[in-house]
Amino acid sequence: MCGRDDGKTTRFLVVFLFGGIALASRKAVKDTISAWVAVGPALLVQIIFVYVPLAFAAWVSLHRWNMIRPMRWVGMQNYINLMQDDAFWRSMYLTFIYVIGTVPASIALALLLALLLNVKWIKGMAFFRVMFYIPVITAMAAAAVVWGWLFEPSGGLINYLIGTVGISPKGWLNSPDWAMLALIIVGVWKRIGYNTIFFLAGLQTIPGVYYEAARIDGAGPWKSFFSITLPLLSPTTLFVAILQFIASFRVFVSVSVMTQGGPARTTRVITYFLYENAFIYLRMGYASAIAIVMFVLLFLFTLFQFRASRKRVHYQ
Amino acid sequence: MIRKPHFSARILVYIALTATAIAINLPFFWMIVTSFKPERDVFSIPPKFYPTLFSFKNYIEAFETVPMLRYMVNTLFVSGSVMALQLVFNVLAAYGLSRIRFRGSSIVFALIIGTLMIPEEVTMVPLYLIVRQFGWINSYRALIIPFMAHAFGIFLLRQFFMTIPRELEDAAMIDGCGRFRILWEIILPLSKPALWTMCLYVFLMSWNSYIWPLVAISRDEMQLIQVGLSRFSTSWMTPWSQLMAASSTVIVPVIVFFFFVQKQFIEGITLSGLKE
Repeated sequence: MCGRDDGKTTRFLVVFLFGGIALASRKAVKDTISAWVAVGPALLVQIIFVYVPLAFAAWVSLHRWNMIRPMRWVGMQNYINLMQDDAFWRSMYLTFIYVIGTVPASIALALLLALLLNVKWIKGMAFFRVMFYIPVITAMAAAAVVWGWLFEPSGGLINYLIGTVGISPKGWLNSPDWAMLALIIVGVWKRIGYNTIFFLAGLQTIPGVYYEAARIDGAGPWKSFFSITLPLLSPTTLFVAILQFIASFRVFVSVSVMTQGGPARTTRVITYFLYENAFIYLRMGYASAIAIVMFVLLFLFTLFQFRASRKRVHYQ
Repeated sequence: MIRKPHFSARILVYIALTATAIAINLPFFWMIVTSFKPERDVFSIPPKFYPTLFSFKNYIEAFETVPMLRYMVNTLFVSGSVMALQLVFNVLAAYGLSRIRFRGSSIVFALIIGTLMIPEEVTMVPLYLIVRQFGWINSYRALIIPFMAHAFGIFLLRQFFMTIPRELEDAAMIDGCGRFRILWEIILPLSKPALWTMCLYVFLMSWNSYIWPLVAISRDEMQLIQVGLSRFSTSWMTPWSQLMAASSTVIVPVIVFFFFVQKQFIEGITLSGLKE
């Protein structure tokens, strides 16, 4: 049964095998070409306009350059100067204040809203979600212009509203004491809706049976919030916190539109310090050194974020 | 079963949600009200919580004092171009990364996604220096070409393409279809929702962009809307009612549009968790 067509079968097998390999490799070559044709253009754009600039920043940061006279090599001098520059540390401090002001507030408010929206019997949840989301899709620059009007010391809505509850009017954007708070308020306002979406997604992964069991065991709403919701939500909270931390660290647009780092440089956060050095003082080498330091810091924060988001997935 | 709480408790939750929704959107309400006030009513105390001038006088004046129309045309042109280009570049890249196995694909993917870790604030200085070297400062090229492809869109599309079953592709392969014909005839028709979501994002990001036009454009007639609008506000005497009219023209269309497409939008966020 098997012996009869041996020669033929073998020949057929050989042809089939080699033909298959040849075809397969032709297909592999064709696939590789197709793949590079597909990814090549996008990759090239990313390399030219993201990676090359980053590398160029590292190179420029080792020079003194005002774009008028040629670049002059200074080695690590820009970094040494930066570490000894009070203005740099002051801007880092102001950034820190902004971060401390925005991160906990925007997280707490977002969690509160998400808890309200997550109630099972609520009607119009989608509508409220959209209402809370409007500031997120609005351009920060345009929103900052509107907030500039709200914060207007005489005739602005904010001073009128706080006046109705007996608080004396503030100078807000014109006042060294209040400008940072104004920026923090805008920053929190802009991000609440965004953070709420993540908390809502997180809350919806907590099985309802846990609450049911807790209720049967006699736990009240507070008890079940602190012993079920909060612990099970902690990966989401960590994720949102890091995302918000990075966003707050990068604050620029509101500062650029509303205060330009003022008054008396009380809102000159790190990004604005970078912007000023580059485009007002034309210290390109120094500005590049600031950019590189910022990049390294943000890189570390983002690594944290990736670890946190892996944890988040793991929990689900 | 979860019991409905008491009627008064439910009312309380609705009141809290409504109050928050109003508070959060109060700036926009106030912007619109102010845009319909004559200059003399703007600073009235106590403030008038309703429009007092039912005409578009402030809007017309805003468009006359500032080249708003020019900014808008510029922005629409740039946003449209960026969207069209990203549609081509992102689709191709996402396709290559999700449906074709090739050596180095994981490196390419890492390089593309890695750009999300390099923020605009870091690259604005060197990108300016490079674009200046190309001689593109104050041109549409500076605003369009660096953004022809973007990691966010590529990632979004790749995630979607990966959910399309391979069998469809295999069948087409056996029929002798080439890779790009498969993309055109099988993948793309199935991906309309994802493509739509991506286009929305790209357009919005472009419409809202501020940092790059701020540094790359100094000639007024080339400026985009966000920078143009905020320049207007920093002039020494701010005509608030006109400025709010200008702000309304920038903000309100986006909000109205958002109401129609909010579902795709918000789902896109939770899908990726990468970008606002």
